[in-house]
Amino acid sequence: MNASIKSFDAISVTVLPAVARLNLRIAPANLEVASAAFGLPLPGKIGQRVAANGRAAWCLSPDEWLLHGPEAEQTAIVADFATARVKAPRSLTVISDREFTIAITGPRAQELLSVACPLDLSGMVPGTAKRTLFDSAQVVLIR
Amino acid sequence: MQAGGLGADQIQQIQLGGKMSDLRISDRGRVDHARPVRFTFDGKTFAGLEGDTVASALLANGQHLMGRGFKYHRPRGVVTAGSEEPNALIGTTRGPGQFEPNTHATMQEIYDGLSTESQNKWPSLKFDIGAINDRLYMLFSAGFYYKTFMWPKSFWDKVYEPFIRRAAGLGRSLTYLDPDHYASRYLHCDVLIVGAGPSGLAAALTAARSGPSVVVVDEQAEMGEALLSEPSVEIDRDQVWGWLASTLAEPASLPNVRLMNRSTAIGYYHQNMVGLCQKLTDHLSDVPADAPRERLWRVRAGQVILAQGAIDRPMVFDGNDRPGVMMAGAAQTFLNRFGVKVGVRPVILTSNDSAWYTAFDLADAGCKVAAIVDTRTDIPPALMQAAMSRQIEALTGYTATATSGRLRVKSIRVNPVRGGRVGAARTIACDAVLMCGGWTPSLHLFSHTKGSLEWDAKAKAYLPGHKTEAVHIAGAGRGLWGIAAVLADGAQAGADALRDLGRKAGAATYAVTNDRTGTGITQKELPTDRSPSSAKAFVDFQNDVTAKDIRLAVREGMRSIEHVKRYTTNGMATDQGKLSNMNGLTIASDALGKDIPQVGLTTFRPPYTPTTFGALAGYHKGSHFEVTRKTPIDSWAVENGAAFEPVALWRRASYFSKAGEDMHAAVNRECRATRQSLGIFDASTLGKIEVSGPDAVEFMNRMYTNPWAKLAPGKCRYGLLLGEDGFIRDDGVIGRMRDDLFHVTTTGGAARVLNMMEDYLQTEWPDLQVWLTSTTEEWATIAINGPNAHKLLAPLVEGQNMSDAAFPHMSVAECTVASFPSRLFRISFTGELGFEVNVPARHGRALWEKLMEVGKAYDVCPYGTETMHILRAEKGYIIIGQDTDGTVTPEDAGIGWAIGKAKPDFVGKRSLAWPDIVAKGRKQLVGLSTENPKDALVEGAQIVLDPKQPKPMKMIGHVTSSYWSEALGRSIAMAVVQGGFDRMGDTLHIPTADGGSQAAKVTGSVFDDPAGDRLKVE
Repeated sequence: MNASIKSFDAISVTVLPAVARLNLRIAPANLEVASAAFGLPLPGKIGQRVAANGRAAWCLSPDEWLLHGPEAEQTAIVADFATARVKAPRSLTVISDREFTIAITGPRAQELLSVACPLDLSGMVPGTAKRTLFDSAQVVLIR
Repeated sequence: MQAGGLGADQIQQIQLGGKMSDLRISDRGRVDHARPVRFTFDGKTFAGLEGDTVASALLANGQHLMGRGFKYHRPRGVVTAGSEEPNALIGTTRGPGQFEPNTHATMQEIYDGLSTESQNKWPSLKFDIGAINDRLYMLFSAGFYYKTFMWPKSFWDKVYEPFIRRAAGLGRSLTYLDPDHYASRYLHCDVLIVGAGPSGLAAALTAARSGPSVVVVDEQAEMGEALLSEPSVEIDRDQVWGWLASTLAEPASLPNVRLMNRSTAIGYYHQNMVGLCQKLTDHLSDVPADAPRERLWRVRAGQVILAQGAIDRPMVFDGNDRPGVMMAGAAQTFLNRFGVKVGVRPVILTSNDSAWYTAFDLADAGCKVAAIVDTRTDIPPALMQAAMSRQIEALTGYTATATSGRLRVKSIRVNPVRGGRVGAARTIACDAVLMCGGWTPSLHLFSHTKGSLEWDAKAKAYLPGHKTEAVHIAGAGRGLWGIAAVLADGAQAGADALRDLGRKAGAATYAVTNDRTGTGITQKELPTDRSPSSAKAFVDFQNDVTAKDIRLAVREGMRSIEHVKRYTTNGMATDQGKLSNMNGLTIASDALGKDIPQVGLTTFRPPYTPTTFGALAGYHKGSHFEVTRKTPIDSWAVENGAAFEPVALWRRASYFSKAGEDMHAAVNRECRATRQSLGIFDASTLGKIEVSGPDAVEFMNRMYTNPWAKLAPGKCRYGLLLGEDGFIRDDGVIGRMRDDLFHVTTTGGAARVLNMMEDYLQTEWPDLQVWLTSTTEEWATIAINGPNAHKLLAPLVEGQNMSDAAFPHMSVAECTVASFPSRLFRISFTGELGFEVNVPARHGRALWEKLMEVGKAYDVCPYGTETMHILRAEKGYIIIGQDTDGTVTPEDAGIGWAIGKAKPDFVGKRSLAWPDIVAKGRKQLVGLSTENPKDALVEGAQIVLDPKQPKPMKMIGHVTSSYWSEALGRSIAMAVVQGGFDRMGDTLHIPTADGGSQAAKVTGSVFDDPAGDRLKVE
């Protein structure tokens, strides 16, 4: 981060606590196997989210899901998917340290993002995710 | 009104222009007569009113002279009242260090404390030595750039280039950092309307009432455009300014509408993206702290409505550039919007009805209009009567042939034209000449879209034709004239845009009274009874191009308007020919004897008006210039005195100086320490890609040159990646973690490699069950090298037998290091016994500190990229992009062993069999040993066989890497040399910048420990 993080009345910007982040790639036909391994019915539509019991999954592309879970469960999630690997080929990569999550909250949050995000975020449904750019950095936006 | 005493010129101006205080009409215009504002121009204090521009305030003080011409340094005054202004370009100082050259005096609003200056003059605006060029005009004819600057060649450095550089721009550029900051935003809307004149506002009302998101932008401080200059019009029985106020209040109150003034649409890009530059603070006396000066908006619009109006066209005649000669439309704006008479005894020179109304407005405001001179003979009787009733003399069928006056026009010479003959001249005393040679639809933004412009023979104008974007053009921009016509057209454009958005809307209708409709003609330069070759009849005021320059260009063989433009520079100034293009085209087509559409039309480019670099750069300056990627260990390097260098987007420690050490000493120490005992290096920037899936090995076999099938899990191998052309693209060590999982490392170009892999996977081999994930930033990577590397590391490792037999060179394991989960590689990029420890990024610094602490026993030495480069070069390990340049094959680089000869295919395999690729004499990577071991070669230096050969010498290669090797006590270098492998032992020569040359012997490229004994655990 080059800029200092500040809080203002209309907006606050904070780095969220660490979570277990995993990138799942699997053929949509085998989604049930992955859903069983993760313990959540993974969404089939790009941008959609499913969340329960501290875990969440977003579909980011036709065969890609972003998985979040409590940090303490990361090893268990990896192990559960390792067991499932024999049933359905897939790629599960831990990316907990690859990125971090910043929360932008407040009535002008969307305006702040418009500084460098080229997408029209006005119609974005809460809970959904989009992979996009913030200036030159690749980001996943979750509303 | 001025603070200082009056000079002789000012007294003269008063005599010419009446009392200065008479020029401002109290209670007229949209300026606030109760709020005086003081600013300076060339050091003198002037008074204006709130709402004035610099131009209107100076004109109210009788000051027409605002600058000097670009080429001839002729005195120049304001010509227009808008952003098309070619002459009145001034320097503005807003505060300490806040200077801008070439500000439009016609756009810059005044405020208390604003400081302005004229440009292109020395020693003063009124007496300028450069005006000697005006007498030497024959030297500056069309094409003079090409003719004058050719010979003698020796004049280039000292005469021509400085001249061109000085002449290449008006004003002085900044020599210090811009202290202001600039913002940027993206914006999405259903309808974007550019221009808030009558047609734009009618479109906005129609669109806004239907509910979609609407953005209206206008470059002026106040919205209304033509309506601000036509107060006598009534719309829907309301005086126009009353109508304007209520019209603007309606959309301003709607949540779906955004009105943006002082915002210029600078460019129209693909898929309805329009760039806007919004000026936020340049008009403010007290600028809020931290307020950005300008904000660049990137607007993506569903529908765009261009309502940019039309620009009046000058008349081309001798002396048409004298201060006081200006556009009639501008005079009307200065009168009605700013309450300023541009003169008290104006002459109107026109071929269009519109200027007659200017004459009437001025006469009604108390000016003595000396004459209306119209080139036409057929004038509407109503205009003739209106002129007569005001006792204005109307001279129809007349031409203008000269003006007089040094710093301000004093008279105009006019002649009747009868039967094509120019009759006897008559001189009319005046203090302003207000001209109108027609109106040019403003289609610059439409031109940006590459929409076609079609010649309309009736309107004598180019009008929008085929559209490439979801765009509508309304009003004067498509040749319409009169408030009623453009209101109706704007409303229709709004309705059309809504229809294209799938909405229904009816266009509102407006009742207009006192509308001033009219017609006119356009023409080439005006006929004269004098020699046209000595006439200074300007076409382009900003670039000082005259009618005879354009005719000369045609005589010298230019046929296309594109060539005429470049030869004469007509329309090539920052105004992009807003005033000059159509006149230039008309004259060129006349000279060529062709119709205008056959001569062509030049293309407008963004930006519409000059735009600051600051606005375009936005937040990208200083520490925000580009994303700086820092490794997890970067903070430790900062605390420990590292010098940094940018490597691609990363910031990397290049060396760690101890007290008193220069770079050379520090690097030598780091090299010695690593070879003698133990070095530690932050390699986190290594690109990393996980290749995962049942077909991972097949994918690797197809991508990389090497064979992968037999590489067992737990082992790693050097991998070489080629392009389809057979040239080296990337390399790195690749570990097989499991049967179906590879940990691929790349150079710093990981994103490029991942893109290439994804490209092949998605387009060529979609059948493969394999997935690619970037993990570069997931891992912190620490390289440990040196004879004591194993001794340091082995005690810290759990979960892996670290014996040489169980974990030999080129092994990889998942284990813990200092209790951190880790992917541990035993590899070496230094030739020493080496390991690379990958831990999750958050643990990077903690592991580094632990290794530093434990490593004290072995005098562990952190080293940077400089030492890394030297240590690898001593071993002949190549760096992609330094020792290769996209034309080097594996065989050229001496790493043909990395090619899996038995493999049926891999990317680039077929190209390796091309005749040119297998030909002898290709440039090959070799070592160079200088004859003088203390001599270090310069990286990039060219290599020749004989340094005594005449120039230009035949170059047979170049130095790719060159270092001082502390281990060898001499310099070492690598180079690509034609037929290099066959030149072993030959002496080659490397010419140096001082005219000498260095001799060097061709060697193998492995300088140190060729047998690789040092990789072993003792």
